[in-house]
Amino acid sequence: MLLEREITSWKRHKAGFVVEDVSTIIKESVEATIGGNAYQHNRVNQWTTSIVEQCLSQLSKLGKPFKYIITCVIMQKNGAGMQTASTCFWDNSTDGSCTVRWENKFVYCIVSVFGLAI
Amino acid sequence: MEEFNSGEEVVFNPDEISVSVKECVEGVIGGTDYNQSKVNQWTASIVEHSLTHLVKQGRPFKYIVNCTIMQKSGAGLHTANSCYWDTATDGSCTVRWENRTMYCVVSVFAVAVAL
Repeated sequence: MLLEREITSWKRHKAGFVVEDVSTIIKESVEATIGGNAYQHNRVNQWTTSIVEQCLSQLSKLGKPFKYIITCVIMQKNGAGMQTASTCFWDNSTDGSCTVRWENKFVYCIVSVFGLAI
Repeated sequence: MEEFNSGEEVVFNPDEISVSVKECVEGVIGGTDYNQSKVNQWTASIVEHSLTHLVKQGRPFKYIVNCTIMQKSGAGLHTANSCYWDTATDGSCTVRWENRTMYCVVSVFAVAVAL
């Protein structure tokens, strides 16, 4: 009975957009790129590019039949207010998204991944 | 139904989208100052109106609309997007708007649906 449950869960996992897996991929990518660094105007361009590219390559390695859109925002911590919102017109049964908010002492980093089934 | 739009190719048109998104943004926050208690409603309103407008066009696309509003206080902000899709049919459009007290960046991504 335990084996049956495992197989069903594995099948469900395999097919769709799995938020936990994507979330892990994002967190690792951000940690590896920014880590404990402070906001540096001349490097932040490389950081955002590196984060989205790493995420994308890890996601495509999952081999799922999805198109992906990844956005990354890095903001210096100096008291400014910021708000973001997203809305999606898609197929609720097959498509999904995952947003990760990360921060260290000097910067905020928000990464969103949208996966659309082909 | 064989085609969504009779005779037209399924290609994303960023200029049209850009114009309608700018109008949406102007309509919601044009002439206002950054307001912590209202910014939540503003972003929601901008993305909803933009999406409604896009869907009304009746094209065979899935859409993702993203809006960021940031107060002008000297902080640095950097954003990047990366997309894994069919470059022949899918596309995106980003609109940057600002006034005296805030920046607003809206990104629209359109992914073609297989018919």
